[in-house]
Amino acid sequence: MDRPIQHIVIVGGGTAGWLTAGVIAARHKARMASGFKVTLVESPNVAIIGVGEGTWPTMRTTLEKMGVSETEFFRHCDTAFKQGGKFVGWTTGAPDDAYYHPLMLPHGWSQVNLVPHWLQDARGRTFSAAVCPQEAICEEGLAPKTIATPEYRGLANYAYHLDAGKFASFMQKHCTQKLGVHHVLADVTQVKQDESGDITTLVTGQAGEITGDMFVDCTGFRALLIEKTLGVGFKDCRDVLFCDTALAVQVPHESDDAPMASQTIATAQSSGWIWDIALPTRRGLGYVYSSDHIDEEAARAELARYAGTQAEARKIPIRAGHREMFWKNNCVAVGLAAGFLEPLEASAIMLIELSAKIIADQLPARRSVMDIVARRFNEVTHYRWGRIIDFLKLHYVLTQRTDTAFWRDNVDPASIPERLQDLLRLWKYRAPWFLDEFDRLEEVFPAASYQYVLYGMGFRTEVDLADNGASATLASRIMEENAAMAQKMRANLPKNRDLVRKIRDHGMQSI
Amino acid sequence: MTNIAIVNAHAHRDLQVKAKASPAFDAKHFVAVIVAEFPLLAVQCPILLSKDAETGAFVCGAVLGFAQNENLFLTQDGWQGYRPLTLQRGPFYTVGEDLAIDLDDARVGTDAGEPLFSPNGEMTPYLRGIINAMQELRPGLERTKRFIETLMNLKLIEPIDISLSFDDGSQHELANLYTIDREALRALPDAAVLDLFRRGYMQLIYLMIASLKHVPLMAERKNKQLTAGLASAPAWG
Repeated sequence: MDRPIQHIVIVGGGTAGWLTAGVIAARHKARMASGFKVTLVESPNVAIIGVGEGTWPTMRTTLEKMGVSETEFFRHCDTAFKQGGKFVGWTTGAPDDAYYHPLMLPHGWSQVNLVPHWLQDARGRTFSAAVCPQEAICEEGLAPKTIATPEYRGLANYAYHLDAGKFASFMQKHCTQKLGVHHVLADVTQVKQDESGDITTLVTGQAGEITGDMFVDCTGFRALLIEKTLGVGFKDCRDVLFCDTALAVQVPHESDDAPMASQTIATAQSSGWIWDIALPTRRGLGYVYSSDHIDEEAARAELARYAGTQAEARKIPIRAGHREMFWKNNCVAVGLAAGFLEPLEASAIMLIELSAKIIADQLPARRSVMDIVARRFNEVTHYRWGRIIDFLKLHYVLTQRTDTAFWRDNVDPASIPERLQDLLRLWKYRAPWFLDEFDRLEEVFPAASYQYVLYGMGFRTEVDLADNGASATLASRIMEENAAMAQKMRANLPKNRDLVRKIRDHGMQSI
Repeated sequence: MTNIAIVNAHAHRDLQVKAKASPAFDAKHFVAVIVAEFPLLAVQCPILLSKDAETGAFVCGAVLGFAQNENLFLTQDGWQGYRPLTLQRGPFYTVGEDLAIDLDDARVGTDAGEPLFSPNGEMTPYLRGIINAMQELRPGLERTKRFIETLMNLKLIEPIDISLSFDDGSQHELANLYTIDREALRALPDAAVLDLFRRGYMQLIYLMIASLKHVPLMAERKNKQLTAGLASAPAWG
């Protein structure tokens, strides 16, 4: 059963399939002359779900490494800038209740933990504004860079909002034309396995048999290979994250030059929350809710009130959870086939990128060493799903809202993972910082993200005044630097809407 | 406001233009230039690239000073050396194939300048000079754009930081400037080198590289200006 891994077959042509194909093909391009091959099999009859219109800053590196022009990406995917998340109404539900989770680390991150200093004397500033310029930039509708900033570089850290459907076609073109990925349009009718359980062959209706050395399941909720063929189970996490349904709708901007937010806005509702993502051409809205707490009729009404329109929303069932195992035999699941969580922190596409990166970087040379890589992949991917679930839950457990059962049920200790409960106890006496609890090289959410949510939502950590005294001078200098930086950026950055238009008109330079 | 009109011997017979360099219009530290001007500029100032603030597109330009609106070539005795075409053109434009003038430009009047036409209605040498300059500028901008595109495609452009300190304690940093990446140039394959040479681009590239030597020379000139007052001061001052 030992053989070289030369032919990677990816099944499914959505965001997950094409991103994975692109990352693997770009990383192993040099080997293609000596027989290495990436094939993507896509059904001509299955519609793409198109989850997630928000990415993480990781997407910049992912695209750059694949040789994608950022200008072309803006022109073909209705791309816009994303500089973080704004959470409205999560803490108290009062009219002025909002906080930011920006994409930049607190200023001076590695030098001093600013949390205790901010807690001691906030001087009327929110935590995020005191330590990072991005809240100010977002509130004024500014872009993270100028037209003179080279592709993929930013003056402020940024990710993207994009049209997922257009992104899949864009990636398809790039993968097949520039990266040598073979594209097969065919329905898989049968999956053949050898006696060890390894997948050997896909029998297709239109393209005959396709053999391969390794298979990537990107078939979305169908989970054709990982579940239907290999029988890997699903670990539900609805006991932690209650939302199980999304209602999605698109609304036009008020006018062609209406301001365009560069932050994902997540507004708390009676039994869930509404995402609001601005693309140049439209806004995408969606109510993610718990059907145990509200019926569809009432949810539609809440969404319509937010959207200011009666437009018919598309209903998408959400099954919160993930595979019990992600890589089994010679098959690895990526994207929705691996699992799904509510898009509160845009983790879906980011997880695809991270998974594709491990697969590409650690691609086993031969079948005999694949199980070693698979074990490591499963271990790290499990860890990541766990941390994402913890982090999403954090947004709910800090609420002070008691107006509906949804919010009351969310703070029930029985629904809070033990690890998170421990951390919350710990953080009462010491604010998370740097590598304290999150020490992996590629941690999905660094301690900084926890800081933004904790202190954005009014969490209190006891302040040791004596300890603060030791770093007071440094801390106040860094916060002054941050204020100066914010002021400078506000003076120099263009409006988000204007820059996106300029990029479409003139393009960005490569240097 | 602008009020652009096609130049015409009848209507503009009495028009005069203040053509001499003046602080109001020439006090610029970076001026866009075309490739045909490189040989004239390379003997007096650095030729670098910069990005247009509106479009982000690269332009070639002459560095004339080290601070915003500082032009070391503009002295009390007028312009010293070669004056780039975009400054020479003054209030003139091209509309289609015609020469046009902005009648609202402060340099345009009926006295104290260069007449466009002689009393008998013939074009003056000044106007002829302007027409020549405009005829050179328009295709020159296209040629310069193609030159820059070639540099981009071959990845021959790199950012350059120029920071200078002067004897009066002042410091200047010039941002948003780019020059030829000499290492990338040396690493070019033979075919690309030959192509650059045949298209006349190799000479332009070396003129740009050589022109960098004017940075210290111009800085020294500026330093002399700054310390001219100090030198005459008492030694203990």
